[in-house]
Amino acid sequence: MKFRLGSIESNYDGFSQLADIAEATKELFWDDIEIDMMHTSWFDANMCAPLGAILYKASRDLNTVKISDKMPSRIKDILSKNRFLSNYGIPAIYDTYGTTVEYKRFEPKDERYFADYIEKKLVRKDIMPEMSEALLKKFRESIFEIFNNAVIHSKTEMGIFSCGQYYPNQNRFDFCIADLGVGIRQNVIKYLKKEISADEAILWALKIGNTTKTGKVPGGIGLKLLREFISKNKGRIQIVSDKGYWELAKDGTELIKTLQFPFPGTAVNIEFNTSDTHSYFLASEIRNEDIF
Amino acid sequence: MNEPISLRVYEIVGNEFCVASDDGQKVFDQIAKALREDKKIKLSFANIESLTSAFLNTAIGQLYGSFQNDQIKNNLEISDMEQDDMMLLKRVVDTAKEYFKDPDRFEKLNKEAMEDSDVS
Repeated sequence: MKFRLGSIESNYDGFSQLADIAEATKELFWDDIEIDMMHTSWFDANMCAPLGAILYKASRDLNTVKISDKMPSRIKDILSKNRFLSNYGIPAIYDTYGTTVEYKRFEPKDERYFADYIEKKLVRKDIMPEMSEALLKKFRESIFEIFNNAVIHSKTEMGIFSCGQYYPNQNRFDFCIADLGVGIRQNVIKYLKKEISADEAILWALKIGNTTKTGKVPGGIGLKLLREFISKNKGRIQIVSDKGYWELAKDGTELIKTLQFPFPGTAVNIEFNTSDTHSYFLASEIRNEDIF
Repeated sequence: MNEPISLRVYEIVGNEFCVASDDGQKVFDQIAKALREDKKIKLSFANIESLTSAFLNTAIGQLYGSFQNDQIKNNLEISDMEQDDMMLLKRVVDTAKEYFKDPDRFEKLNKEAMEDSDVS
């Protein structure tokens, strides 16, 4: 089966195209799957995470997955630099300017390894020289929060996929984490014990005070923290899970849509505004006695 | 001798990144051990560079399912923590208090804890 990819951007259309591939391949076994990017004029490199997740699942189902190396050279360059194409037999090339954050697959127990990867790949001062320490810390912690969320809620056995790309000319840094787990909708249905659509489930999970956690460890603030920070930073977030698509735009507006076919897990894509000049220092001091 | 016990998060976790829930569990276990003996604890976050809500939920939020608010307030002191992390911790604590307000949840967890200790 051959799939011809159009332009893949971090938006509804980009995720829809990937969900279409997931749907078409979900019951294939022992088959040949070929991704044709000959006519792909743009590919947001962070979208390697959700595409990689879908193709990984197809490989796990014993299909032979191939990406044709006939594609525009600038796309081949970027996907070779971030080592996405290395998974499909195309050699990696050196990332001279250090703007890529390598495509990687992690096991849920790899939280420490993930932290090292982010520290080494993201926090390179020569890549983002103008950012304050406080902003960099916020970036790093936002990414950790998403990874934690995938570990805690996805119950995935197929791993967690991540990839990032810095666009210096556009002052943006995009990062995506995708998993092939149970998805937000199933978790919310199990918790509320009632049917709910995938887009409603995302909105429910984003509401302050809501969590599907039931054990002895409380939870439920990771996504809210992420949303608050990205709003302040004037960045963007997309959360895609099952058929649900939610986006927070730079101007603070929200978009909720339904995909035609489900994404087989959850993908969280964030766009950081690297030209943010907010101080991120707190105006008032918090003391020990204020906490408990 | 009523000096608080000093616990250093860096030493317990062995890393400057407090990201993993498993690492939070190690910190929780140490604090819980001391609280069970009604000891005072000074928990230092010196040299910690990043913290996540998942880590703090496990290390500290979880305490509210096993101990009374007053005991935590009187016995646990946080030190060497950056102000923005203090703000995060406050949110974790407020969320935990809310989470364990549900009497059914609190009762169920206590019952499970009792059963666990019966077994061991």
